Amino acid sequence: MRQILWVVNIAAGMLLLILVADRRNYRAFPAFSLYLLTNSTLSVLVFLTYYRWGFTSPSFWWFSWGMRVVAVSARALAVAEICRHFLARYRGIWGLAWRVLLACAASVLIYSCIAAKYQWKLALIRAERGLELAIAAVIVAVFVFVRYYGVEAKPADRSLAVGFCLYSCFVVLNDTILEHYLYRYELLWNVLGMLAFLGSLLLWTWALRKPQAEAGPEETLLPAGIYQTVAPQINLRLRLLNEQLGDLWKREATRH
Amino acid sequence: MNLPLFLFVGFVAVLLLGLGWALREPRERRKRQADPCSLEERSQRQVDYLPQIRQALTAEDYEFLSKKASRELQRRVRRERRSVALAYLAALRGDFQSLLRMARVIAVLSPEVVAVQEFERLRLTANFSWRYQMIRWKLMAGLAPMTQLDGLSDLVSGLSVRMEEALKELGERAAVAAELASSMNRRGMNTV
Repeated sequence: MRQILWVVNIAAGMLLLILVADRRNYRAFPAFSLYLLTNSTLSVLVFLTYYRWGFTSPSFWWFSWGMRVVAVSARALAVAEICRHFLARYRGIWGLAWRVLLACAASVLIYSCIAAKYQWKLALIRAERGLELAIAAVIVAVFVFVRYYGVEAKPADRSLAVGFCLYSCFVVLNDTILEHYLYRYELLWNVLGMLAFLGSLLLWTWALRKPQAEAGPEETLLPAGIYQTVAPQINLRLRLLNEQLGDLWKREATRH
Repeated sequence: MNLPLFLFVGFVAVLLLGLGWALREPRERRKRQADPCSLEERSQRQVDYLPQIRQALTAEDYEFLSKKASRELQRRVRRERRSVALAYLAALRGDFQSLLRMARVIAVLSPEVVAVQEFERLRLTANFSWRYQMIRWKLMAGLAPMTQLDGLSDLVSGLSVRMEEALKELGERAAVAAELASSMNRRGMNTV
């Protein structure tokens, strides 16, 4: 079962890679294409290592986990690219967003380190889990930005981001459960992980079935002075409005 | 022993809820798509009705009724005034949101935004929502005097006027920029 799923995953990854090349979507998504290429290459390498050394050998364990770290790093780059696709057209917002997203990722990594007790044996699982959690948090944060500012997002970008986020969430859950029930759960953990990745691959294939336009030019922006003049005025008015509401609330509280 | 398990599962649950919320189209945007009226027309409409709404909320009418009218009539008037006050409060929130939307549009179209201003607005919005809900619940429970909403309406309409001024200024600047670009094109100059 595990081997079949492994082969299916490799085949689905290759098919997606061919689709990306055929539709020339590597122009719009270079980092995502690089991630697919890295992932497919690593999958083949890990598969060959498995045949050479077997699933339970320490060499296979370290090799496969090392490859996973490379794959997660490539995925983080692809996610950064998708975040840029969402917001980079709006220079001002992007300038704010990338700092917030970076801070968010760093906070989540720190959270992961604190939440998990340190053990050498589980260091790789925990490193991967921390990175996956940071990826998921960054994607949710970028969607919150998109919603808050009412920015229009392309369906392909949304589908790619959702695929990454769901897969990362699944890996976090899976790794957490694996850590607690290490030996009993190992086979199931592997199969479920591959199924989740297959789901993401199918979602990405659907998202990239048509050629995607490269990132458009930056939006026509207002002169910088407008924001500097208007934003403080708006905030001042909003603050006054809030104070008025607060007064109303306090007066009511003292009366009753 | 199970603390990390709960912490990670809880975090993932929060992320998935956040993802679901962020992917849903906001209710106000759906309403805006259904309503052909523009942003400015809508906020203008609320300002137009303010005198009538204020009249409906004055204390004098109610005091007069409490002396002259039957209990049944007083109850009915109270109920109707409460529904007017609630509708008024909802309209104020609509105006507040329209103004916020304009502020966001300006932020999105600006080459540089100031984090402090953006977070300040976020905090103020959260504050407003909380207080609005509190006052709304009190109104629904019949605990809040309706006349005090007057001050609130003054502030919102004041904000509308300032925003209209800002938008007018933006329009004028855009027109000047377009005129400049078109005259440069006519002369065969590159604007970049």
